[in-house]
Amino acid sequence: MIQPMWRKVVGYVVLILFLLMILLPFYWMFVTAFKPDTEIAAYPPHFIPQHPTFSHFKQAFVQYNFWPFIRNSIIVSLISTFLVLLFGSMAGFSLARLPIPGRTGIMVALLVISMFPAIAVVSPLYVLLKSLGWLNTYQALIVPYTAFNMPFAIWILRNYFLQVPGALFEAASVDGASVFRTFYQIFLPMTTPGLFTAAVFTFVACWTEFLFALVFNSSNAMRTIPVGIALFSGQYSVPYGTIFAGSLVAVVPIIILVIIFRKWIVSGLTQGAVKG
Amino acid sequence: MAAQVEKKRRRNVLLTRQRQAGIGMLLPGLIIICGITIFPIIYSIWMSLNNVSLTQNGYAMSFTGLSNFNAVIHASSFWHSTWFTFYYSVATVAAELIFGLLIALAINNVQKLKNLSIVVMLIPWSLITVISAQMWDYIYDGVYGVLNYIVVSLHLVSHPVTWLGTPVSAVSAMMIADIWKTTPFVVIIILAGLQMIPNEFYEAARMDGANSWQVFWHIIFPQLRGSIALAGLFRILQAFGVFDLPFVLTNGGPGTATQSLAMLGEKVLFQDLHFGTGSAVAVATVLIVLIISLVFLSAFRSLVTEGEAQ
Repeated sequence: MIQPMWRKVVGYVVLILFLLMILLPFYWMFVTAFKPDTEIAAYPPHFIPQHPTFSHFKQAFVQYNFWPFIRNSIIVSLISTFLVLLFGSMAGFSLARLPIPGRTGIMVALLVISMFPAIAVVSPLYVLLKSLGWLNTYQALIVPYTAFNMPFAIWILRNYFLQVPGALFEAASVDGASVFRTFYQIFLPMTTPGLFTAAVFTFVACWTEFLFALVFNSSNAMRTIPVGIALFSGQYSVPYGTIFAGSLVAVVPIIILVIIFRKWIVSGLTQGAVKG
Repeated sequence: MAAQVEKKRRRNVLLTRQRQAGIGMLLPGLIIICGITIFPIIYSIWMSLNNVSLTQNGYAMSFTGLSNFNAVIHASSFWHSTWFTFYYSVATVAAELIFGLLIALAINNVQKLKNLSIVVMLIPWSLITVISAQMWDYIYDGVYGVLNYIVVSLHLVSHPVTWLGTPVSAVSAMMIADIWKTTPFVVIIILAGLQMIPNEFYEAARMDGANSWQVFWHIIFPQLRGSIALAGLFRILQAFGVFDLPFVLTNGGPGTATQSLAMLGEKVLFQDLHFGTGSAVAVATVLIVLIISLVFLSAFRSLVTEGEAQ
């Protein structure tokens, strides 16, 4: 389509302004992490650090003991993601390709469940975890994260399984392959993009989750990154430099993940499946 | 004849086997989901009908009927939180959809910078909300915040403003933080929708002498309506559970100006330790979410059947 010059110009201007709007607050956090405390509280603010320092990174890891938060987040997010893929792919395949009664009903129920706010289940889960003696354990987060992220993963994976030609399934069953073997030897390898998409979404959701982590794992040793950062605030003043130094360390791996998996994230966002 | 019966029998055996395998593969996932979502919600309802007291190694319940709900309905804090959560969700999501649509339409034809734009737009989406809340907290700071520096330098105000100090500005500040985080996500969805519209549609419309507004209203908008409505619904339901943003940014304040329903529930449950009343708040929240979902159930259904047609 031939388009007038002015529309092209408007397009570029809007795009660049939009990207700047996204990046500027982020830039501010980034430079603050490298500023000494006197500059952090300086007014007027310096847009470029005058005396850049790594002291806040040291503070975050030595004084505030930030490393266990990262370790806890990695353990909880990785195991939850694995479990979601394991159970979610089987359920998604089953709902896409096998003659299960009430498929539409199950899909709608899953969609509605995935929209329930976490606050709805937090009190009974707390009571349950407390009586199991599971508060302040990894499983206290892994089990709810697995359950809460699975409906969305099932949705995504089902859509991918539907795109694999049904004839393959017929052929495999005529050849006498068991249903399960057909699933993991033929269908699963053909839906790796779907697995990536589901994995990234689950991982990011676990990595950012706050309410469960705050309520179930409140002891200092078991906190995840969001809880650690939320409760960082000192008694007298907010140690922004330390908070942002810790935040940057938590953010960078995710940004790398986003750069690598951007294609699958976008396809996940647009697969008729929209969840933030 | 016999061969046909045999064939039919084998087909039935195959179907039964497939059904059994399917149920077997579906069940582990469904059991986990039901165990951690449906069962607790039912238990939540039961708790909301009881007076729950935490004891040393568990809890004790005594049935009190609807008295918790009675207390909730007569608490002004509940209605305040409901109203705040409702208009916060609707206003934020409306702003996100409008900005998202306008930005997507403007940048749809920009060919360069595609990869870079996508990565940048995905950063806020993947950012831990708690981190972005701390980031905005620092930007909004009433003494040395960079926002104050900017508005004072532009002579928009004469003194630094305590943005998080008054109800109106705190609510707006919170909305802006959310709009910043989620608009890029909406832009990506709408951009993907725009790419699906075949070029011939535009060309045909241009041939017929349609102007830009007519092209948008008659060609683009009808194609996008479905995905915009769904994105909006999902976002509203999600915004309804907002907890981490006000928890860090405003702690529900000033006063209770930004106390969302989830924050109220968490406070009654885990700070006041009133599990019965807190569960009643949670159940009421679910009821509101369910009503919204049921209103849009037909939209959900069409999504399912659309997927099946593929």
